[in-house]
Amino acid sequence: MKILKLFVGFSFWLALCGCTNAASPQAANDQAALMKKSSIVFFGTVSQLAATSFADVPKSAQTIVVHVDTILKKPAAVSLKKGDNVTVEVKDASGFQEGTQATFFTDGWIFGSGVAVKELGHVPGLAGEPVQAGSAGAKAQGQAPEQLNDQELRDRMKASDFVVVGRVTDVRKWNVPKPKSGAPLHVTEHDPDWQEAVVEVQSVLKGGKVKGNKVVVRFPSRNDVAWVHSPKFTKNQKGIFCLNRDQTTGVPTTKTGGQQAYTCLEHGDALPLSEEARVRALLKNQ
Amino acid sequence: MKAAFAWLRFPIFSLLAPLFGITTGFLLAWGQSPPAPSIKVVNLIPASLSGESNQDSEPFLAIQNANPQVMVASAFTPNPFSMTGNAPVYVSQDGGNSWALNAITPVQRMTCDITHAMATGENHPRGDLHAGTLACASGITLDESESNDVSLSTTMNVQSTRGNVDQPFVRALGVSSGDRIYVGVNDFNQANGHTATIDVSVDGGATYKSFPIETRKTAGQDGPSVRPAVANDGTVYAAFFGWRKFDGKTATSDVVVVRDDTAATGANPFQALKDPSDKLPGVLVSKKVSIPWSNQPALGQERIGSTLSIAVDPNHSAIVYVSWADKGSKGDIYTLHLRRSTDRGVTWSKTDLPGTTIHNATNVALAIANNGAVGFLYQQLSNGRWVTHIVQSHDGFTTAMDFVLATVPANQPVEQFLPYLGDYDYLLSVGNEFRGVFCANNTPDFANFPHGVAYQRAADFSAKTLNDGAGNQVPISIDPFYFSVPVIP
Repeated sequence: MKILKLFVGFSFWLALCGCTNAASPQAANDQAALMKKSSIVFFGTVSQLAATSFADVPKSAQTIVVHVDTILKKPAAVSLKKGDNVTVEVKDASGFQEGTQATFFTDGWIFGSGVAVKELGHVPGLAGEPVQAGSAGAKAQGQAPEQLNDQELRDRMKASDFVVVGRVTDVRKWNVPKPKSGAPLHVTEHDPDWQEAVVEVQSVLKGGKVKGNKVVVRFPSRNDVAWVHSPKFTKNQKGIFCLNRDQTTGVPTTKTGGQQAYTCLEHGDALPLSEEARVRALLKNQ
Repeated sequence: MKAAFAWLRFPIFSLLAPLFGITTGFLLAWGQSPPAPSIKVVNLIPASLSGESNQDSEPFLAIQNANPQVMVASAFTPNPFSMTGNAPVYVSQDGGNSWALNAITPVQRMTCDITHAMATGENHPRGDLHAGTLACASGITLDESESNDVSLSTTMNVQSTRGNVDQPFVRALGVSSGDRIYVGVNDFNQANGHTATIDVSVDGGATYKSFPIETRKTAGQDGPSVRPAVANDGTVYAAFFGWRKFDGKTATSDVVVVRDDTAATGANPFQALKDPSDKLPGVLVSKKVSIPWSNQPALGQERIGSTLSIAVDPNHSAIVYVSWADKGSKGDIYTLHLRRSTDRGVTWSKTDLPGTTIHNATNVALAIANNGAVGFLYQQLSNGRWVTHIVQSHDGFTTAMDFVLATVPANQPVEQFLPYLGDYDYLLSVGNEFRGVFCANNTPDFANFPHGVAYQRAADFSAKTLNDGAGNQVPISIDPFYFSVPVIP
C-alpha cells in the first residue's frame, strides 16, 4: 500500500512538474508549492459568477460556483467528488467567466451540504495528470489531516530549539515537585500526567551539540483531549524529535544532574525515521 | 422515522400525553394555532464531512435571542483540512435542520474546552456570539472572544486572554446597553485557593473583571465546574463545588450557590446569599458530598469528577434549580441529584426532588422554559447502553414526562481520548421548545433513536453503516446531536 502511495504520489509530482500549463521550471515549482500548500485541489468549470452552491455560504462578488471535473487533492474526511458543485471564494473574480476551466488550489472554508473553499491560486486548464475521483489514485491523494504539510513541519522545526535523530532508551513517570513556596498543585481534567523519556541522540539536525548525548524529554501521558495529539514515547522508539527547552512544567531541569529538560508536545514533534530526508531538505531550505 | 412519546413516569402524564397529541392534531386541523413542534434529533456532521470518524465529544449550544433560527454548536471537532487552521464551530441558520462547519474560533485546530452564548443579535443578524475557549498546546490559555457574523470566515475577536484557568462556561444576557457576559472559570490565579470565579463583562466583552466567588477554606482549589445562570431581571446565580478535601481520588465538596441581584454590575458582586451556618457568602445546598475523581474511564468509557448544572426561571428569578453528581449510594459509580429553591436560593429542598436521584448518570443540564417547565437532561449508563433522557416537569417533579432521545451501545466506538461523551452537554429553552445537544455513538440505527433522527452525513439506515459519500464505508464514532423537544403545556 505504501509503495502504491509512493508510486502514485511520485507519478503525480512528475506529471505536475511536466504539465502542459507549466511554461517554465519556475511555473512548475510554483504549482508544486501551491499543491503542497493547498488542502483541496481540483479541476473544474465555472458555472456561476457571484453565486454560491449552498445556502450556508455568504454570497459576494468574490464567490463563484465551480463544477468539479477532477479531484486532485483533498482531506479524507471531506466528501467531494466529480460532478459536485463547489463554492470558491476567488481572489479576483474578474479573471473568471462562466465556462472558464481551471485548476483551483484552495483551502477549506465552510463545510455544509456542500463544500466552500478559498482560492490560494489557480492555473488555466488542467494542471498535471488527472487522478480520477473514486480510483485508487484518488484515494492516494486523500491527505490525512494528521499529516503535517511541508509548511507546517517547517514552522514546527523553526519553533523548536533542537531537532534530533535519536532512540528512546528509557521511559519513566515524573511527578512535578511541589513548589518551594508551598503553593498547592492544581488538579484539572487536563492534567498531563508527565512522563520522562531518555533520548540517546544520534545526530543533531538543528541546534548545538547535546551535552552527554542523552537528553531528558518530558511528555504528557494522559489521554485527555488537551494532549491527545502530543507524541507519546515508548522504550526503543527511534525517530526524529523536535524539542524545546522545558518552559511548561515549571521545573526546567532534571532531578538528577540538574540538566536542562526538554518537552515534545506538539503534533508532529516526533516523526518516524522515514521522514529524515524530508526533514533535512526542509531544514536546508529554511 | 418513529415519532412518539417515550415512556411516562407518572400516570397522570400517561393520560395527558395522548391528549396533548390529540389536542395538537385538533388545533392543527382547524388551523387555529401555529404548528406545534415535534421532537427533532439531528446529527450535526454535515454531508460534506461524511468521511470523518473523529470523536466529536463535549457538545455545547448557543441560540440567538433575536432570531432563534440562528444557532451555534460546538464539540471537540478538529479543523477538517489543516493542522494549524482554526478550530471550527457548527452553524445553523434554519432552526437546527441543517448545520455547516465554519473554522472561526481563535484556537488552533481543536479546542480543549469551548462554551458560548448569543445574547442579542439585533444589530448582527448572524452574530454576537460570545465564546470562552481553552487552547491547549504548551500551556492552557483561556480566550474570551466575540463574532459579529458566524457565517463569515473571520476569526473571532479575542477580547480577553489569560492562562492557568480551567473549564470556561459562558452565559449571556442581552440588554439595551450591550450584552452582559458571565463566564464561570476555575481560576488558579486566584489567591488562597479560592479558585471558583466568574468573569463578568457588562459591555459586550470589551472589558472583563474576575470575581472569586469562593469565600471558605478549600483543599487548595475548588472543583472544575463553575456554572452561572441569568434571569431576565438581572438576577445572576452561580453554582460551584467548594472542595474542602481532596485525596487524588475523592473530593469532599460542598455544593455552593451564590447570587447577585444587580447583574453583577456592583463592586462586590455575588454576596447576596449567606449561609446561616457561618454567615459567609454562598449557600451550602449540600454539605461534604463525596465526589469521585477519575481521569480514567470510570463510568463506561467516560471519566467522572465534576458534573454540575444550575438554571433559573427566566421570568421568576426566585425559582432556581441545581443538579450535581456525587458518589451516591453504595454500589453506585456516580449519582445525579436535583434540588430546588423557591425563595431566591435562601433555602433548598432537603432531599432530591421526586424521581431525580439518577444512578450511574452524568452530563446533567438544566433549563427552565417561559411557562416554568423545567428541563432535566442527562445521560445514564444502563444495561451497557448510554441512554440520553430529557425529563420535564412544572410541579417540582411531583409529576414528570421523560423522553429518551437516544439509547446507544456504550462499548462502541472505543474512546480516542477523554472525555468520551463530554464533561458536559447542554440544554436551553426558547419559546415553546427545549433545545439542546448531546453526544452519542453515531451508528445509523433508528432503534437507537426512539423519536427518530435525521442525518446530514451519508448513512445507510438499512445496513446501519456510514459511508463517505462515495460509497466507501466509514467507521462509527462519537458525533454531536442537536435536539428540539416541545415544552410540556
